Amino acid sequence: MKLLNLLRHISLKHIRLQKAQLAMAIAGICLGVAAMVAIDLVNISVLKSFEDSINHATGRASLQITGAESGFPEEMLDRIQNLPGIEYAVPVIETNASLAGGQERSIMILGVDVLQDHQIRDYSLTDESADIPDPLMFLAKRDSLLLTRAMAEQEGIKIDQEIKIQTVAGLKTFKVRGLLNPEGPAKVAGGDIAVMDVYAAQMAFGKVGRLDRIDVSLLAGENLDAMKERITLALPAGYDVDTPAGRTRQVEILLGRFRNSMGLISFMALFVGMYLIYNTVSISIVQRRREIGILRALGAGRLQIAGLFLTETLAASAIAALLGIGLGLLFAKASIGLVAQSVTDMYVKASVSELAFAWPAVLKNAGIGMLASLVAAALPAIAGARITPVSAIRAHSYTPDGFLLSNRIRIAAIGCILISILCLVLFESAAPGSHLRSLGLVFTAVISLLAGVSLAVPILLKWFIPLLHNLLAVCFGAQGRLAGLNLQKNVTRNGVAVAAILCSIALFVSSANSVNSLRTSLFEWFDSIIRADILVSSGHPLAAGGAPTIPMPGEMLGEIAKLPGVSSVEPFRKGRVSYNGRKVLLEIFDVALRMEYCPAMIATGKREDMASLLPGQDNVVVNEAMAVKDRIKPGDTIVLPTPNGPVRFGVAAIIVSFTSDSGVVWMDVNTYRRHWRDDLVDTFEVLVKPDAEIKTVRQAILDRFGQERKLFALPAAEFKVEVRKILDRSFVMTNAVNILTLVIAGLGIIVTLLASVLERTREIGILRGIGMTRSQVSGVVIIESALIGAIGGVLGAATGILIGWIEVEGIFRLDFGASIGYHVHYPAIGLALLLAIGLSTLAGLYPARRAAGTNIVEALSYE
Amino acid sequence: MIELKKAGRMYRQGNREVYALRDVSLLIKSGEFLSIMGPSGSGKSTLLNLMGGLDQPSSGEVFMDGKPLHGISDYELTLIRRRRVGFIFQFFNLLPLLTAEENVGLPLLLDGLPFTEVQPKAAALLRQVGLGERREHRPEQLSGGEMQRVAIARALITEPAVILADEPTGNLDSHTSEEIFLLLRNLNEQGQTIVMVTHDSKAAAYGSRVMTLKDGAIAEDMMIAEPAS
Repeated sequence: MKLLNLLRHISLKHIRLQKAQLAMAIAGICLGVAAMVAIDLVNISVLKSFEDSINHATGRASLQITGAESGFPEEMLDRIQNLPGIEYAVPVIETNASLAGGQERSIMILGVDVLQDHQIRDYSLTDESADIPDPLMFLAKRDSLLLTRAMAEQEGIKIDQEIKIQTVAGLKTFKVRGLLNPEGPAKVAGGDIAVMDVYAAQMAFGKVGRLDRIDVSLLAGENLDAMKERITLALPAGYDVDTPAGRTRQVEILLGRFRNSMGLISFMALFVGMYLIYNTVSISIVQRRREIGILRALGAGRLQIAGLFLTETLAASAIAALLGIGLGLLFAKASIGLVAQSVTDMYVKASVSELAFAWPAVLKNAGIGMLASLVAAALPAIAGARITPVSAIRAHSYTPDGFLLSNRIRIAAIGCILISILCLVLFESAAPGSHLRSLGLVFTAVISLLAGVSLAVPILLKWFIPLLHNLLAVCFGAQGRLAGLNLQKNVTRNGVAVAAILCSIALFVSSANSVNSLRTSLFEWFDSIIRADILVSSGHPLAAGGAPTIPMPGEMLGEIAKLPGVSSVEPFRKGRVSYNGRKVLLEIFDVALRMEYCPAMIATGKREDMASLLPGQDNVVVNEAMAVKDRIKPGDTIVLPTPNGPVRFGVAAIIVSFTSDSGVVWMDVNTYRRHWRDDLVDTFEVLVKPDAEIKTVRQAILDRFGQERKLFALPAAEFKVEVRKILDRSFVMTNAVNILTLVIAGLGIIVTLLASVLERTREIGILRGIGMTRSQVSGVVIIESALIGAIGGVLGAATGILIGWIEVEGIFRLDFGASIGYHVHYPAIGLALLLAIGLSTLAGLYPARRAAGTNIVEALSYE
Repeated sequence: MIELKKAGRMYRQGNREVYALRDVSLLIKSGEFLSIMGPSGSGKSTLLNLMGGLDQPSSGEVFMDGKPLHGISDYELTLIRRRRVGFIFQFFNLLPLLTAEENVGLPLLLDGLPFTEVQPKAAALLRQVGLGERREHRPEQLSGGEMQRVAIARALITEPAVILADEPTGNLDSHTSEEIFLLLRNLNEQGQTIVMVTHDSKAAAYGSRVMTLKDGAIAEDMMIAEPAS
C-alpha cells in the first residue's frame, strides 16, 4: 500500500509531465524487444517449416530410415519389411527437380510405391479429372505424376497436360494425372511438390536400384525405442534410424550457429536500450532530487524510494514490451523471406509460407525486456535511495553526486576489462576442442569489454574534455568553449549518453570488421578454389545452397571435353554424410587434376601428401572446422558410412575450406565412385584454352546440350559475384539491427540533452539576457551533441576494432578454423564516425530548439 | 524528551575538517518552545538536523524519549522521522505535483494508510490552519504564507512528539511571519513541543526558551517563560 500510495499520488503525475522523456525510454526498450521477438519468431518459423515439411511428408510413419544422400541399396527394404513388429515399410525417393518453362521453379519430387504408400500417407485428390489416377495406371505409364493444386494454379497447368521436368537424364516429359488438395504431402515445400511412382523416380533421377528413405509404421503396442534398436541392428553401420522429430532436431543442429548469432545480435539492440533506461532513470532522479530529499525527510525509507523508481520502470517497460511484441511481429513478417533465403543459400532449402506465432518465445522476450529494464534502472534507483535528506532539501543548485566517478566504478571498469582479458587468455591458451574454447567465454569477453569501457567513459571524459577546451574555442568560438564546459559539468550524465553511442558504434564497427574478415578470407580462399573458367550445372549453381542440385550423368564429361576451346573438364559432386552425430559435407572431385591448376590452401600437412595419397585411394582431407571439432590431425583415420557399410579413410592433410561450419571432407572422385557406386556429377568445372574465349565456349556448351536438358553455364567471374551477393544477403539482418542500436543510442542523446537544457534554464536565461542570440544558444547545444557523438564514435570505433578481433578469433575461427585473418574495414570505421556525429547532431536539434526558445524572464526567476 | 550529550558533527571539505557542531549537550523537555539563534554558520540547522534524525552525529549521543538516535539503522531513523517528528522548512519543501491535501497527508501515505483514511485528517488540519478552502490547490497556486501553513499542517498530521522548524519565516514578509509565529505559539500552548531555528530575535520571543549558538557550541541558554504543560 505504501508503494501504491507513492505511485498513485506521485509517479502518475510525473508521467504526465515527462511524457517525451518517458516515450523515448519506452521506444528504446520497445525496439530492443521488437528485434528479439522478430528474430526469435523468424527462427521458429524457419524451423517449423522444416518440421511441417517433415511431418507432412511422414504421414503415419513412426520411424524413418535414411542413408547416403546419393541413396542406399533398395535391398535394405526387404530386410526391414520382414522384421517383426513392422506394420508397413514403404520406399521413398525424395529429390529436387526443376519445372522447365514458366517460372523455372524448383520442386521436390516424392517417389512412392503407389500400391502401398496410402498405408502411410493420405492423398486427397481433386476429382476434376476424367482420368482419376489409378495406381495401376501409374505403374503402367511411367510418365505419370501428381502435382499440387496450388502449383498447378500458379503455373497454369491442367490435368492431362504434359510438362517438362529437368531430370538426371535431361528434360523429360511427364503427364499430370491428378491434382493434390492441400493436405498431407501436398503441403510439403510450400506446395512445390510432385508425386510419382518410385520406380519412375529412380529412373528419372539417377537412383536406379537405390532409395532415399524407408518410412516405417509399427504394429499397435510395439515399443518405439525397441523397434528402433531392432531396425538399427538389421542394417549395416552408417544408416540413420530416427523419428520425424529426430530429423527436425538434426536440422536444428545444422542451423544452430546461424540461429545463435541472430539471437545474439538481437540481444545487442536490447543491451543498448538498457543504456537508455539507465540514463532516463538517472536523469529522473536528478530532476526529482529535491522531491526525494523531502520524501526521505518525511519518513520515506530507502526501499520505498528505490521501489518507486523501479516500479515506474517496470510499468514503462511493460508498455514497451507490449509495443515491442507488436512491432516485432511486423519486423518478423517483413524479414522472414530474407532469412529463409539466407538459410536456403547457406544450409538447406527452406520454404516458409507463413510466420509461426509462438507465445512462449514472445513472452520470454517481453520478460527479458522488462528484466533488462529493471537491471538498468537498479543502479540509479539505488543511488537515488541513498540521497541523504539533508543534501537534497537545501536550496543549493544540484551538484552531481559523483557516483560514476567514484573509486568503486573505476575498480568495476578495470575489473570488467580484466575479466575480458582473462576470458581471452583462457580461450587462446585452451587446447583445440577443449570446453574452454566456447562461445560462452567469447560472449563474456565481449560483454565485459563493452561494460568496462562504458564504465570508464565518465572518467575518460573528465580527463580529456579539459584538453579539448582550447581546440573547441578555436574551432567554434565562445559556443564551443561553453559546450565543452557543459559536457564537463555533467560528466556522469553525458558519460552515459557517450557510452550508449560507444556501444552501438562498437557493435557496428566490430560487425563490419568481422564480416570484412570473413569476406576477405572467404574470397581469398574462393579464388584459390575456383580456378575453372566456366561452371556447368543443371540448376543454378547457387540456387539452393547446401541442398542437392539436379545431378548430371558422368558421361557428359567426355562430351564437354570434346568441345572446341575446352582445355579440361573436372567433375564435382557433393553430398552430406553422417559423422559424429551430425552431417558433414562431402566434396568429390578429380584430385590429381585439381592439384594441377588449383593451389588448395593447406592448413596442416603437406600438399604433396594430398596429391599422392588421395587419387583413387581410401584417403581424404578434412577442413579445419572438422579437424578442431573432432580433434583430427594428418595421419589419423575417420570412418564414413557408405552404401555398402562403413569404410575407414586416412586423413592426409587439413585444408582450408569455409563451405560448411559443420565439417568438409574432400575425396577423390574415383574413391567416391568405388564406394558409393555413383557416377553422377553436380557441376562440371571447365577450363578454357588460353586462346579461346570464355563466351564462345559457354555458348558451345549450351548449344550442345540445350535441346535435351536445361543447363546453366556460368562464367566463374559471375559465380563469384553471386557468392558475394549471398554473403552480403546473410548479413542484412545484422546490419539492420546495428542501425537499430544506433537509433536507440540517438534517443538516449535526446533524453540527455533535454535534461541538460532543463537544468540550465536559469543559465540560458542569463546568457540570453546578456546578449546571446537564439542561434548561438542552439549552437551550444548542437556542438555538445556533436561532441558526444564524436567522443562516443572514436571510443566506439576503437572498442569495435577490439571486439571485431575477438569475434573473428573466438567465433569465426571456432566455426571455420584458424585461417580466417582479421581485416579491418576502414571505410566502415569512417562511416561509423560520420554516423555517430551525424546522428548525435540530429538528436541535438530538438533540445537545441527548446533551449533557443527559452523565455528570458521566466528563466531568470526559475529556481 | 530530546537530549544531546556532547554531540558533535564534523564535515570534510577536501582535506579540511569542518566542525559544524562541537560537544553540544542539552535537554529539551516536553511542551517547551525552544528558539535557537545564532549567526550564519553557527550550527543552528545542523543541531536541528541531529535532533530530528535528518543527520547523524559524528560524536556524542542524541536521544528522543530516551531512545538513541545515534548509531541506529537508517530504517529506524526514517520511521522516527515519519512518526515522531514534524518538519517545517524555510523553503516550505512541498511537493509541487501534489495538492495541498496530498502534501499534508504524505507522511501517513508513506505509512501505508489508504488515501480515503488520510484525506479527512488532512482536510481537518488544513481547516485548522485556515486553508480549508484550498485543499485541492497545488503549491504554485498558493502564497508563501499559505504554503508554510500547509507545511505546518503536514508536520502535525502524525501527531509528532516534536515539531522542528528551520527558519520557518525566512521567506515570508513580516505580517505573514507574525501569523506563522502565532500559529506555532498556539500549537505550543496546546502542548506541542517545538524547536525553532531563527535569526530573528522578535521571533525568539514567541518561545519559552532561547538558546544562542556560536561557532558550533552553545553560547547562551535562557528560559524566558514556563513551558506549556
